[in-house]
Amino acid sequence: MKKTAAILAAKVVKSASRIKKTAATAAPGYLAERIDPNLLKKLGSINFPDGVVLVTGTNGKTTTTKVLADVLRNGDISFVNNRAGSNLSRGVISSILTEANLRGFTQARVGLFEVDEAYLPEVAAALQPKMVVVTNLFRDQLDRYGELDSIANKFRQAFKNLHSTTLVLNADDPLVASLGMKLSGSLKVLYFGISDKSAFRALQHDNSADSIVDPFSGDTLRYTHRYFGHIGLYTTKSHSFSRPKPQINVTKLIKSSEKSIKINVKTTTELLSVSVNLSGNYNIYNVLPAFATAQLFRINNTIVLQTLANLSAAFGRTEAMQIDKTIFDLYLIKNPTGFNQVIQSFIQKDSKCPLILAINDNIADGRDVSWLWDCAIEDFASRVGPVILTGTRALDMQLRLIYAGYKGKIITETNAKNALKTALGLAKNNRVIVLPTYTAMLSLRSLINEANDETSKEFWQ
Amino acid sequence: MRKLRILHLYPDRMNIYGDMGNIICLQKRMDWFGLKHEYITNTVSEKLSGKFDLIFMGGGQDRGQIAVGSDLQTKQAIIKDHINSGVPALTICGGYQLFGKYFLTKDSGKIEGISVFDVVTKATELRMIGNIVCVSDEFGTIVGFENHSGATQLGDSAQPLAKVIKGYGNDGKSGFEGVIYKNAIGSYLHGPLLPKNPSLADFLIGTAARNIDKQFILKNIDDSVAMLANSYAQKLPQ
Repeated sequence: MKKTAAILAAKVVKSASRIKKTAATAAPGYLAERIDPNLLKKLGSINFPDGVVLVTGTNGKTTTTKVLADVLRNGDISFVNNRAGSNLSRGVISSILTEANLRGFTQARVGLFEVDEAYLPEVAAALQPKMVVVTNLFRDQLDRYGELDSIANKFRQAFKNLHSTTLVLNADDPLVASLGMKLSGSLKVLYFGISDKSAFRALQHDNSADSIVDPFSGDTLRYTHRYFGHIGLYTTKSHSFSRPKPQINVTKLIKSSEKSIKINVKTTTELLSVSVNLSGNYNIYNVLPAFATAQLFRINNTIVLQTLANLSAAFGRTEAMQIDKTIFDLYLIKNPTGFNQVIQSFIQKDSKCPLILAINDNIADGRDVSWLWDCAIEDFASRVGPVILTGTRALDMQLRLIYAGYKGKIITETNAKNALKTALGLAKNNRVIVLPTYTAMLSLRSLINEANDETSKEFWQ
Repeated sequence: MRKLRILHLYPDRMNIYGDMGNIICLQKRMDWFGLKHEYITNTVSEKLSGKFDLIFMGGGQDRGQIAVGSDLQTKQAIIKDHINSGVPALTICGGYQLFGKYFLTKDSGKIEGISVFDVVTKATELRMIGNIVCVSDEFGTIVGFENHSGATQLGDSAQPLAKVIKGYGNDGKSGFEGVIYKNAIGSYLHGPLLPKNPSLADFLIGTAARNIDKQFILKNIDDSVAMLANSYAQKLPQ
């Protein structure tokens, strides 16, 4: 009864927000959850006969989820996905209810959900997933999530209550890898990792490492090779804790360009030559769980290969937008590791094109901006320019640039629209790199869309 | 003047809140003042010996703190010798707690500190998070961000670093933030602390330089952006 009331209420809110054209993607789920706190569990128990896949971690979960969605789609497996928005439990509920009838039934064989780290224990307990992917664990909005160790411990506790789940874990992240060790019961583990040491060029000023000790003993980790942050090939002095051998293993990076990546991947059964239609070598980690999905859902690897070779450009939280002839390359930045990956992959060459840094400190961005000091700003300070600063914390960014030895021109535009206009003027029909935090990205993106809207030409006059 | 030797304690384990920003700030300002410097790190199970001109220790996760706490005991004598002879030091968050008498944790019992500061810290259920503004006669208005659940109480002999205007500070109740003993400072402000509070950075650098050459004067440098950022931070909501 409660369930039906909850579903009905959610559906009403959903159609109401459609009429009003608001993007309240989590509101129906929020309401339904309030009416029936056990709704997610009930929905899980009557849906998804082939199982549920959850994707979590600090960076890359959106990209990974999108890749897995493409693999399922191309494998002709119907699924429900929360791609439209919220990755909290209410967002998961909303996405199921959108597809469900009034009794809560969907036609989908699989549930595929991106889940916020803080909500993983709750969502996993309710849905008893067939597969959980953990991409990585980095410091991110410590004011919101708390310390990494406590997140990892909550994951460990949550996994204890799962049955027959396969954990798909990043072997190159020591804290994530440790989640697959000392497991009890019926859980299985599949590790993915990169074993080609040439895959990442080291940054000089990488202060983003978080987890450089053995999570069990506290012993210091020794890295034979560090890719970025604390991601790499590691062991302790006594070898009591070492990087596990990945069952999905990148044995060689063949080629990496601004458009695509070619790698050799060794799975437990075959050696595959893989083309990935993404740029940025960190994205390799975001496609490897596709092979685990194929294995668990009995999808042929040739379908995975075709999927990865044809990923659309909107992947990777990277977006190329355009105003007239000027290309704006947007890279969301939200923590030191993400920022450093962008620097490592896209600002290594002398680009000398205008750079917009848009740093906000709203709750969704993280109110604490101290992470800017852990980013390898020194590594690109001489390669870009001029820099246009905007956002609520433009002054913090300016100070960081000064201390990083940036000597070029800095233009501060409090107004985001003016920042875009200034960049347009400086770019001379070329390219602008835009590094925004989350809420800054939303506003810049809508401003760029607005600029391209014929009806608002005067907006840019 | 000879090179100033900066000692960074446990940079691999006590580093989660932009702590390198304080080191970057110290090094850059020393460059601007024309002071040569050397950066020395020391961590768990490494021998600590020699003389240093400035000591820094940042904040870490609770797990990091247990191993660091016991290792720090073995280095207590040399660190105290330095502090008592007037060497400037800055300790943030976990570093501040471990430079006190002890830290009573929630799950891991009591972690002994090295009693440089006459303070004790106890874990609380309250997470003290947010922007913080405080003021001191010597350093002016100090701004930063705090994120701690340990509440620190000053002993009878301890001098607070500053008075809290907005935020929690040491324990959310006393109205005090941080501690200062001789030239050693403990504080909950990360953010990081020094770039936006150049008066604190220059106290540390100036003291280190004058310990070698009494006549040394820091020349004026352009801190206009830092001061703007400082004023802006004063107006932020907690």
